[in-house]
Amino acid sequence: MTTAMTRPPLVRSSDRVIAGVCSGLAAHLGWSVRMVRIGMVVAALAGGAGLAFYAWLWIMVPTSDENAKRNARRPASPIAPAVSAPAPLPVPPDFMPGPVPAAATFPGTAALNDAPAPAVPSGVAAGAAATTGITSGGPGAAISGGTDGGTSAGSGAGAPWFRVRSMPYGKEILLGAGLLLAGGILIARMLGVDVPLGTLIPAAAILGGAAIAWMQLDETRRAGLLDKTKADQAGGWARLAAGLALVVAGVLVMVSGSGSWEQTWLALLASVAVLGGVALVLLPWGLKFWRDLEAERAGRVRATERAEIAAHLHDSVLQTLALIQRRAGNENDVVRLARAQERELRGWLYRDPDKDAGQLSERIKAAAAEVEDSLGHAVDVVSVGDTAMTARHEALVQASREAMVNASRHGGGAVSVYLEVADGGAEVYVKDRGPGFDPQTVPADRMGVRESIVGRMNRHGGTAVISSSADGTEVRLRLPSDAADNGEGKS
Amino acid sequence: MNNIDTAGAHAGGVPAIRVVIVDDHAIFRSGLKADLDARVTVVGEAGTVEQAIAVIAQTRPEVVLLDVHLPGGLGGGGREVIAGSAALLGSTRFLALSVSDAAEDVVSVIRAGARGYVTKSISGTEITDAVLRVAGGDAVFSPRLAGFVLDAFGTAPADIADDELDRLSARELEVMRLIARGYSYKEVAKELFISIKTVETHVSAVLRKLQLSSRHELTKWAAERRLL
Repeated sequence: MTTAMTRPPLVRSSDRVIAGVCSGLAAHLGWSVRMVRIGMVVAALAGGAGLAFYAWLWIMVPTSDENAKRNARRPASPIAPAVSAPAPLPVPPDFMPGPVPAAATFPGTAALNDAPAPAVPSGVAAGAAATTGITSGGPGAAISGGTDGGTSAGSGAGAPWFRVRSMPYGKEILLGAGLLLAGGILIARMLGVDVPLGTLIPAAAILGGAAIAWMQLDETRRAGLLDKTKADQAGGWARLAAGLALVVAGVLVMVSGSGSWEQTWLALLASVAVLGGVALVLLPWGLKFWRDLEAERAGRVRATERAEIAAHLHDSVLQTLALIQRRAGNENDVVRLARAQERELRGWLYRDPDKDAGQLSERIKAAAAEVEDSLGHAVDVVSVGDTAMTARHEALVQASREAMVNASRHGGGAVSVYLEVADGGAEVYVKDRGPGFDPQTVPADRMGVRESIVGRMNRHGGTAVISSSADGTEVRLRLPSDAADNGEGKS
Repeated sequence: MNNIDTAGAHAGGVPAIRVVIVDDHAIFRSGLKADLDARVTVVGEAGTVEQAIAVIAQTRPEVVLLDVHLPGGLGGGGREVIAGSAALLGSTRFLALSVSDAAEDVVSVIRAGARGYVTKSISGTEITDAVLRVAGGDAVFSPRLAGFVLDAFGTAPADIADDELDRLSARELEVMRLIARGYSYKEVAKELFISIKTVETHVSAVLRKLQLSSRHELTKWAAERRLL
């Protein structure tokens, strides 16, 4: 039974009386169509088993067109080699193609997803007796096939319950065994042996249902789920077992316990148990949808971010590049544009969201940017420490700005600005590399240095020292923090 | 910093410093190559982490001009190149070169073993000077890197000056401050009435502290900026 035979695939044939089931089955098994049809009618007369079998195959077996489409989409169908391999495939268990582990690890799901396939080599041998198995196993298969459809027959994967994949066609054997068992139970019952069918059938149904429910999650989803609930693999399985026990217990109580106990108490208990079981069964779907929703939301956030970045780049960088191309002839303009754009982009990329614009370092940097834009020389600011702005700090910023303007205008090169804020106060150093000048010889009418820098600092309780040499000029501004009161008083 | 103070070193027939340029932008590589003057000679170029490690191992340059951000490898960029060339750290020195101002980029590459850090906007002569200085075993600090150091170590001097890793001595702080203010080594020496060699010693000591210190404030500072 486990040897692979070369058979045409099981599909519903276009040569049909009702739905092409019998002719397809005949073609697949290599029997005559007439024989199959007669057998089906006979089986149908035997308690309607043939009808059920026919209906099941009708639902589950694809037409030849559908099958062709499906094979085109999934050339390496994990199930295909088992039954409908167009060529003999003596597949050794360790040599299965890629998708096989995904499908084969969970024999139940995989088998039920592609119910028609396994039914043939194993189930048919059981003959009409197997139809009972179909009625009990059928609904599960129909549900599974209905929800999963042809989209991803191999999706029901996960950690192995039993190592069936080490057996060739293990899932088919398993399903066949289940069908045989069901048929055997039915025959035993007919022969007068007392089988507690009223208990077994709902129990089996619930078990199968819960199993299917859990297997609907594919492996990655389940892994994510376990991560989400902070449960390890063992915890996940424990929960599954508990859920199953709940479902079984609830239905068992409901089926067998009626009448003898207090009705209300029993009904309450049973309802709670069933509800708990149902909730547990539905949980995977809920979580799955939640995760899908979350993934979609994350995608939207990313898209929004991307749009924001694109908008920013368009407004700033692309505009500047266009300007640079138009002004390519003017070196000064190009440098100035590039510099301004660089500063803007840096501010956008590396800005510290914890810092607000009211901080001293931000104001110094803004002043430097302003000078840079207006005079075209680079002004590099290095800052250590920071403090909130006050009116006195405003004076420091204004004095610094004036010093930067002077350095940029007379220094004729890059200007270095260093801001240090410590407990003792704030210091600003503005250095250029110009030819230098003698502060003593500054004419009285040059308001810049005398009034805007030195005078302003003095009025606010600070100091300004200007040192100049042939290597350049440095303006040192110092604003002590403890001079707040008398500084304000003087001004 | 832009004045070469090892002036005598290259004046007579001293062979040029062998340099490998590692940067993922070919335009920048060729531009830098054209900018560097005759005191250095470019013996190799690389654009990814893997290429860089291979080229460095093959050519064994004296100095590697290393971009902080590089594609390839495990995503570690310049740090990964230094780690991958750890066997050569005795003979090959790394000078980090980046457009990035971010503290984490700068400090992480320094802590990985780079001997200095300069921004890409400085001139070819300045880069050449920096290469010579690094090749001579000294450290190269840009004003911004000095600012980061002051920010990380704090601006209060250590009580015990000598060999403590976790704080800067008063003299080291002075040197760092002057560098942050835009002073060249020569100007620092002049300002503090010390020799250039002493300035270089101080800077190298600061570099060593930055690389080795496990001071908890530094760790905290770095952690806040997602370093280490």
